[in-house]
Amino acid sequence: MAIHERSLVEPERVLRKERLVIDGIDVSGDWNLVILPRVIEDYDLDFLDEVLKQPEGKTILQCYQCSYCTASCPVHNYWDERYNPRHFIYLARLGLIDELQKRADVIWRCVSCHKCTHRCPKGVLVEETLKAILKVMSKKGLIEEYPSKKFDTFFLEAVFEHGRIEDGELLFGWIEKQGYEVFKDPVLKKPIPFLGGTPEWLKQLAIKPIKSMNIDFLILNAKHMLFHPKTKNWNRFKQVLRKVMDEEGVSFVH
Amino acid sequence: MAQVAEQTKKSPMGGIGKRIAYYPGCSLEGAARAYDVSTKIVAKELGLELDYIEDYNCCGAMETKNVSFWGTMLLNARNMSLARRQGHNAIVAPCNGCSFSLQRAEYFLTTDKSVYDRVNELLKEGGVDPLTEVPTTYHLLEWFYHEAGPEEVKRRTRKPLTGLKVANYYGCLYTRPHFYSRTYSHNAPEEEEQARPRRRETADDDEHPYYMNALLEAAGATNVEYEPMHTQCCGGPHSLSDEQVSEKFVMMLLQTAKRNGADVIATECPLCHASLEMYRHRLMMKGVPDVDVPAVYFTQLLGIAFGYGANDVKLKDNLSDPIPVLKRLGLI
Repeated sequence: MAIHERSLVEPERVLRKERLVIDGIDVSGDWNLVILPRVIEDYDLDFLDEVLKQPEGKTILQCYQCSYCTASCPVHNYWDERYNPRHFIYLARLGLIDELQKRADVIWRCVSCHKCTHRCPKGVLVEETLKAILKVMSKKGLIEEYPSKKFDTFFLEAVFEHGRIEDGELLFGWIEKQGYEVFKDPVLKKPIPFLGGTPEWLKQLAIKPIKSMNIDFLILNAKHMLFHPKTKNWNRFKQVLRKVMDEEGVSFVH
Repeated sequence: MAQVAEQTKKSPMGGIGKRIAYYPGCSLEGAARAYDVSTKIVAKELGLELDYIEDYNCCGAMETKNVSFWGTMLLNARNMSLARRQGHNAIVAPCNGCSFSLQRAEYFLTTDKSVYDRVNELLKEGGVDPLTEVPTTYHLLEWFYHEAGPEEVKRRTRKPLTGLKVANYYGCLYTRPHFYSRTYSHNAPEEEEQARPRRRETADDDEHPYYMNALLEAAGATNVEYEPMHTQCCGGPHSLSDEQVSEKFVMMLLQTAKRNGADVIATECPLCHASLEMYRHRLMMKGVPDVDVPAVYFTQLLGIAFGYGANDVKLKDNLSDPIPVLKRLGLI
């Protein structure tokens, strides 16, 4: 079996024996991997193949673990040390899915700033590779629905429907998904801002253009919310998009 | 602190074309109207012509690519095909997200034959002309710098932005990753430059971009030190879905700008701009210190320098309200 990196001081691996006597010698206290077996046999050999099948994940094998990506990563540096792109690539290549699963709460937090990809000396498309790993994890059911995926799918739905997105609709649609009760007019089923539940910051932010009498800006955005800007000649193209996405296994409501 | 070597600066070299296909992107028709209006003003003043791509669709931004690779390729290929039909080989996008998406598609279409063939087939099926040639995408800033340049900006400036201290915020995707944006280090020795065979001569410096600094300096503004925050992330595609991280990132951006003495932050991407304005407001509500720097599009500042009024460049649209600062300095 391969020797691989695994933290030896993870709390769940520490064995505490209040009273342990072996051959008459008292060895009570904290024990860890000395007692647990070090051999890991649950490699998922299929995982890497799946990542390599994704068009974005093809460069994963070029990685030589220099950790330039992690050193550059703002999420690693400013948010959570457990977010470690190099380690994710390492785990994906070995197929240690249980370790990946343990990091499910941070692995989606990539903000796509592309510092990793830009600086990689081996030409790995790191950001794309991480997204490919996430995709495979979702496919294998290793990670539950995470916020960024919810938003990405929501965004794709909007693009797919009209060919273009509209800021107001996107914002209020997302707020609705967050559990706020957005009030909708009975005829067109469009959200009417500020009648239903709205986060306080958004209310205050929107008061600004009203206060400064920026009427034409308000009218423009209200018009767009009521009559969604659309791409003409979209229907035929939409069908092709649908077909392609079905082949990829993308599922959303439409 | 170690002395940083003076940046070697490229002089404007043209070659992109005075008349290009302009891909505004969805935001510029709604919430970021100010950017669109001021871009038109500045382009007109600099003698450049924007040819709007007719009937364009969304580029997919940073979101759709995480869900569907081929869908995103198709969305961008459609826009490219429309630009080609209007007879253009150069697309200019004012948004970092849009230029990223188009350049990403360009990368896969030009480096992977199988992607190119499949996309063309699907385009035909969708009733769009297939791509005979893949057009190149430039960011608006790059186009302004190389087709007009600081000299031209200086010549057109009627009302210099004297006394205005600007923090130039470029955002992530203007320069990164070099695979797509084809940027390179203007200071690197020759052999290192060779390592990026796809590099585009007109592209900005990858780690120390300076095109916006140069244009605004020519218009009379003072640039404050803003490295390395100038290309730090604002939360970008996660500004709605991951609020904690975005809030922290924006806090760092705003505080650095304020503490380095900036009056305004100049932006060149509607997504970064919206993120800065939204979280600036939320941070101020929480009482976080030093976050009250307003965000202004760099085209709005250039418009003011060219003699246009606050209403012409739609300063009222900015939710972070830069009007008091600019009034105090007597610029509007």
